[in-house]
Formats: sequence, structure tokens, C-alpha cells
Amino acid sequence: MKLLRGVYEGPQSFGTLKLAASIRGAHVLLRALPGETYFRTLYGVRERTGATVPVTLSPLREGSDDSMAPGDLARDLSRVVRRHPKTEIVILVRSEASLLSGESISVTMPSEIEGTGRPPLLVTLPWEEPGMRETEAAELALEDLIRARMLDRPERSPYPTVNLFGPPIFGPGAEAEYAEAERLLDMVGVEVNARVPLGANPVDLGRLPRAWANVLLYREIGESATLYLQDEHGMPRVTTPMIGAAGTGSVLKSVGELCQLDPKSVQRTIWAELARTAKLPWYARLEPPETFQNRRVAICGDFTYPLGLGYALAHEVGLEIVACGTYLTHLARDFIFHAHTFTEGAFVEEDPDEVAARLEAAKPDLIVGTHLEADVADSLEVPFLPLCPPVTGRPFVERPLMGYAGSSVLADALDTALREKRIESTGEAGMQWTDGALQEAATVPLFLRARARRLAEEHARTQGSGEVTREIFLESRL
Amino acid sequence: MTILNESGIPDVLPPLHAVNGLAERLSDVLFVVVGTQAEAHLVQTLPAAPSPNLPPFRRNQRVIFAVIDPDDPPQQGVLASRIVESAAGLRGTKLVLLVAGRTAEALGVDAAFEATLVARKLGLPAEAVNPEAPREVPGVLSTDLEDGVLAALVHRCPKRRTSDLVETASPAKRGGLLLGGLLGRGTEAPDSGDGRPVVLLGGILTPGATRGIATELLRAGVEVAGTVPETGIEELPPLGEGTVVAVMDPNLTLAASAAEKRGATVVKTLMPVGVDGTARFVQDVAEEAGTRTSEVVRARSAWEDLGVLRNRIRGKRIFFTGDTGLEIPLARFLVDAGAVVLEVGAPRLDRRFLSVELQALGPDVDVVVSPDYRGQTNRIEESRPDVVISSPGLQLPLVARGHLCRSPQDFLEAGPYGYGGARRILELLVRTMERAETLDSMNL
Repeated sequence: MKLLRGVYEGPQSFGTLKLAASIRGAHVLLRALPGETYFRTLYGVRERTGATVPVTLSPLREGSDDSMAPGDLARDLSRVVRRHPKTEIVILVRSEASLLSGESISVTMPSEIEGTGRPPLLVTLPWEEPGMRETEAAELALEDLIRARMLDRPERSPYPTVNLFGPPIFGPGAEAEYAEAERLLDMVGVEVNARVPLGANPVDLGRLPRAWANVLLYREIGESATLYLQDEHGMPRVTTPMIGAAGTGSVLKSVGELCQLDPKSVQRTIWAELARTAKLPWYARLEPPETFQNRRVAICGDFTYPLGLGYALAHEVGLEIVACGTYLTHLARDFIFHAHTFTEGAFVEEDPDEVAARLEAAKPDLIVGTHLEADVADSLEVPFLPLCPPVTGRPFVERPLMGYAGSSVLADALDTALREKRIESTGEAGMQWTDGALQEAATVPLFLRARARRLAEEHARTQGSGEVTREIFLESRL
Repeated sequence: MTILNESGIPDVLPPLHAVNGLAERLSDVLFVVVGTQAEAHLVQTLPAAPSPNLPPFRRNQRVIFAVIDPDDPPQQGVLASRIVESAAGLRGTKLVLLVAGRTAEALGVDAAFEATLVARKLGLPAEAVNPEAPREVPGVLSTDLEDGVLAALVHRCPKRRTSDLVETASPAKRGGLLLGGLLGRGTEAPDSGDGRPVVLLGGILTPGATRGIATELLRAGVEVAGTVPETGIEELPPLGEGTVVAVMDPNLTLAASAAEKRGATVVKTLMPVGVDGTARFVQDVAEEAGTRTSEVVRARSAWEDLGVLRNRIRGKRIFFTGDTGLEIPLARFLVDAGAVVLEVGAPRLDRRFLSVELQALGPDVDVVVSPDYRGQTNRIEESRPDVVISSPGLQLPLVARGHLCRSPQDFLEAGPYGYGGARRILELLVRTMERAETLDSMNL
């Protein structure tokens, strides 16, 4: 058991809901307590569309009653089918409360439901367990969905095509990431067979093997699905994060190879894009080296974004990456392996307080992270870029972070963040702290500690004291 | 008034979402949310009152999540000692609330026991609050946690001294229950001549709500002894036998019964929402406290002051989907003000607790208990109301279909209580409609 001040990931049901809401024609039957259905509200405020989210609650009730009220799983299932005749897949998701309640769930799709045609496919997720996190669950659920739809072996398309495995809904600029990748692939002459999961429909899921290769934009969700397609259908995959000009170029070249394109024509497209769209290399050249010299960056996020951003910031821009972490503990080994190409400070940590401690210890000049790092950056008074999921707030105009256009977005963000000259730590560096004051400071929550220290030192200075005593510290906290 | 039961799935925000708002309002309470990753995620992702523009997430240092690993649930007492460790760092904590629902229970956490341990080790009061506490009437309201927290605050009120006196009085008085009761009342009679102390309960999400109502009561000659919640835990008023508790929100059933259990008298009256509601509230509370007063003149002049606003509301058709429980008094006032209320959704309807409110509701209002959100959406589509007071989950879909929406939380923030609140309610609606008219008149 842990006491936390925040969590990066939601529970497994949240991950599956996110995945299902990304796919058109899928409907979730959620077995949960009546008080657990916040997904509809969250979908509204995050997506800011008027669409209703395809989730139906099957409330978990105590005791059995013979009323026709919802709560009976089989009846709720046939209601879903009748109410949503266009649904092609129904996914049964169980909330933590349902899993912990120990109720056994066995439900099958009735072969015929009055007034509807062929009943939809029912996908149950037998691996669900209460301690699982959202990303891992979404990844497994995507593989299950694809397996369930893989009824026959579709023929390979006559012209080069790829599948895009990208982020689900709620990702920062998720739509825009797919669009940018599709634009670039289109330029090198490769068509996108399907976008998975965002915007896919059940038919797409069954026709994935038409494509010649799978491009993993967001490995967190697509990993096991693409491995399955690789093993069962011999589809190669491209896993380099498409972030930064170098990363994007590498992905395009790999796709070109897998699709037997003329390397020269791919290279020409890349050059044209570098001249026209990709502004990150241009920004790196325009700025004087002093802007980047000895500037320390700390990054924390999921998997693709911190790795891609870390690599681009280290090698393309020339910033020093002092820390780079992920909260996805199940991808720890892979993450550390990749992060070592650009930093010594790779770490895996899912407690935001520990992350705050790491970031603080790294003494960064810029923090790139999730919305949970905003407080830390604020407390350390360093610029902050919320570029890694999860982030709150959703702009009306989505902008990609992947691809060449994404590299320009990154350049803009860096330009704003780094333009402010570094504020040299004001006044006398290293003010003395008495032991009593240090003990008091240690009790302040980590994400507020830097600010508390700074305020105490300022207070000591205004008091004309050369050191921070316990009293001065306590006064400054009032 | 007709009450129908739809037995559907209402769209209600989970009660747990209120932790953030409550932590902000009660600045000396440490909230420990006990459960799995799911509870922590819920509290963190849903800000106090979701609006179409999600405010940036800010962590509150008085909200801590105890995330329990289902494969390795903690031994008894471990949770308490962890809480003690982290509470030590938070200065100014006066009360620790363990928010633990069904998952915590399923994981074998005895929240009440852990709370006692915390209280003993910290020397601070600590209580367990169950956001899914079993109630007499089925259904979930988004304000259930608020109710539970207020009930915990009622428990924290010091016991009344007079009742202590009664209790420590000679044992002969306790001979028969009936006799003891009669005697008890008899000894209080001279006390109530002075006026029995009045405690206001509720208005937690509206800053200044209790102050406004206290002023109204003072005008009627009743001095308010205190409010729950107060600015600090230590300022909570004595509450016990002989205290008159005036409940300001229709959804505070647990808190009200907690006060009743302490021997206080909970006034059965209308909520102080709207003109007639406020008048009746002031009158009944005053009477219970031992002062006779008439609010007729006040109410009449308040209605006259609202004349212009009422003209704007008259005949407007309003639909309440139901979420917080505030809908019933709001509907009652709007009907009185001349609006047509098409439907009031009530995810949970405690008919006994709300009997006065329900009687006061106009004859043409349909109350739908446990409404189904899809059914409601269809009915809204068919009847095309002028304004929908909707739960947050339905807001965006309804706005997208061209309906004008406000959430009940907007009214709570504006402050619906008292005569001034009546004006604010109408102003809010008129503003909403005016803005929609301006936007509609644009030629896009």
C-alpha cells in the first residue's frame, strides 16, 4: 500500500474505455457501481464534442431483485444490442469494484435478438484484474479485439500500405499525430490502410493484414497487437518514435525499405520536407549555441514521448538531458535501454512525489512532463512544457508533436520556454539552514518543498538573518 | 405533482468527485481517499465542478490517496500509521477524514478502526466517511460525499452543555423513557423562553451562504448560534439536545439524521431557496427557536422586487435532469415565479425527508425518480425546453443538439439561498437566455 498525492494512470477499466471510445462501432457494457460512471462526463469535457460516448452501465447491485431495472447482465446486454443496432462489437468491461466484489461473470451473446439482424461480436476480457493499470489493459484489449476480428486472411494490398498504431483518445493532439503521419506517408507514396485505434472501425480491425507493415506511433498501446500481427501474419513493424526530424526521417526510411520504395525518392521527399515543414533543425541552427549550452532538461512521461523528445532534445537541439523517466513500470527495461542513448539519468517511477524528488535533485532548467509535473516546475520556478500524456486541457486546434510538422511545434515550444534568460539564483547562494529548520522542511510535501525553501530564504533575508532557523521557516510558511 | 419511477440509469457525477471541492472549502481537514487506483484517478481527474472548460489540474496538499494493492492488502493498522506519518507534515490539520467506500471494504480495510487508530496516535479527531453509505432510499446523488462529510462534522460538534446537565442529572429522572422525555422537555421550557440555539447546516459549496441566511434569521429576531461547516473545525457550534438544526440543502439526509441522533430538533420546513422557501424557512426556524414572526411582508416585497425578472421567466419551459438534489427546491421556486417545469429528475428521492418540499411543488410538475438518461434525452428532444438544468455528463451532448444548458452546480456557485438568492437564480437564468438570444441572432 502506498500513500500518494497523485496518480499518472487510471485503473484498467479506464484504459479499456479509452480504447473502446476510440474505435467506431464499438460499445462498452461496463459492469460497475452506479457511482463509478464518470467516463461520460470526462469524455465530454476532454473531447469537447457533442458525441455521446458508447458506454452503457450495468449497475452492480446488492442482492437480486426481480425488477426489470438494469443490473442483470444478460438483459443489459440485449438492451445494448437493441438500443444500438449499429454496434458491431460489444466489449464487456468490469470496474475495480466489480472485480473486487468477486462476482462471477458469464454471459454470452444471444444468437438472435428480436428486431435486429446479425448480433454483434461480444468481446470479454478474461485477464482483467483489479491491480492492473490503464495502459497495459488498453494494450491487451487492443490485441484481443484484433484477434476477435481476425476471421480470415485478407489479401495483401496490391500497392504499398501500412497500418498506423497511434495513441487513443485524450492523448494530447492524438488526431493530429495520425494526420501528420498519414500526410508524410502519403508523400513517400505509401497509403494508410487503417488507423488503430483512434478512428478505426471493426471492419478495419479485420483487414489489418492487407497492409505491408505496421508503423507504431504509440508503442504503449500497439505493442502486443503488432507483435501478434508479426507472429501470425508476418507483418514487419517500425518502432522508432516519430518525434523530431531525425526520428521522423528514420521512420520514413524504414517504411520505404519495407515497402520496397526507391530510396532516392524517399530521400528527396525528406529533403523537401526538411526545407519546407521541419523547423526544429532550422531553429537549432538559428539560435546561438549559448541558448542551449549547459541547459539541463528533465523529462517525465509515458514511453514514446519522453524517449522521442529526449532523443530529439539531446541530439538535434543539444540540450543536456539530466533526467528522463517513465511511469510505465511494465515497460521499465525497454525504457531504460532506449533512454541510455541520450541520458545517464533514466528512471522508472510511478509515484509523483518520487518523480518530484528526482526532478528536483536533477536541478533542471526546463521540465517536460505530464500535468502532474506542473506543480513541480512551478515550485522550482523553471519553465514547463506539458508534452507527455496525461495532460489536462484540450485546445480546440490540435497540433501534432510527431512528424516534421510536430518538430516545428516542438521548436516553437522550446523557443518560448528557453527565451527567458535563466534567473541566476538571487543573492547569496547556499544560505545556511539550521537542523531544526531542515527537519521542518522535510515535512513539506515534495512538490511544494522547493518553493517553501525559497520563501524561507527570502524571509530570512528580509529579516536580516544569515541563516534559516526553524522559527524563520515556520513564519515563512504562514 | 406526480412521482414516477423510471428505474433507469441516471447520469450522476460520482460522489467522490467532491473531495477536491470539499478540501478547498474545509482548509483544516486532511482527506485520505482509501481505495484502489480507480478512486485516486477519479478524484484527480474530475475537478470539483466539471465544466466544458476543464480547469488546469492543481494538487491539493490536503488530499492524499491511499492506493491499496489488491494482491497485497495491508495489515490492520498499517494504513493508520502511514496516515500518521504524512499528517505530521501538514501543519494546521484539525481533523482527518478517511474517505473509504466499497472497494476499501472489499479489500479488507476497516476504515472506522483505522480512523480510531489515527485519532489515538495523532491526538486529532479522525473519522471514516463512506461515500457509498447505505441509505434508506436507493440511488446515488453527486452530493452524497458532501452529506457524509457534513455528518462527520456534526459528530465533531461539541456536545451541548444543557444536555450534559440533563444527562448527569439524578438517575431518578431516567426511570421511564417517556417520563424522562417529558421531564427533559420540562426542564428546558424556561430555557427556550430565551430562544433555543439555532445551528445552520449546509451551504458548503457556496461561500457566504450561511452568513446570508443568518442575517435573514437575525432580522426575524433569531440569533444563529453557529453553522456546520464553520471556518475551522474548532469553531463548530455545540449541537445536542435543545439545539434547533435548520437544514439548508435538500440532500443532507445523513447529516440531518446525525443531528437528530444527538437529540437536536431538525426543522421540517422548506429549503431556504426562492422567496417562499426562504420565508417559510425563516418563519418555521424562528418558531422552533421560540420566536413568532411573520415573513409575509418581506416575502411580498421580495416578489415585487423580482417583477421584471419574473416577466422574463414567465412561461419559459424548464427541464431538470437531476444530479445534486437541489433540483426540487429550484423547481418549486421557478414554478412559483411563473416558469413551466416539464420534469424534475431525482436520482434519489427521500420522500420522508423532502415531504414539505414535495407538497409545495406545483400540481403540474412531474418528478421522475431514478430517471434514465437516454429516456430523458429523448424527452428533452421531444419537448424542446427553453432551458435544461442538466448534470455535467449530459451537458455537452445536449448543447450539441441545440439545447440551452446550465448545471445545478452553477446555481450553487451563484448562491441560491435567501431572498437575494432568489434574485440570483432568476438573473442566472435570464442571463443564460439573453446570451443565447444574442448568439442566435448572429448571422454566421
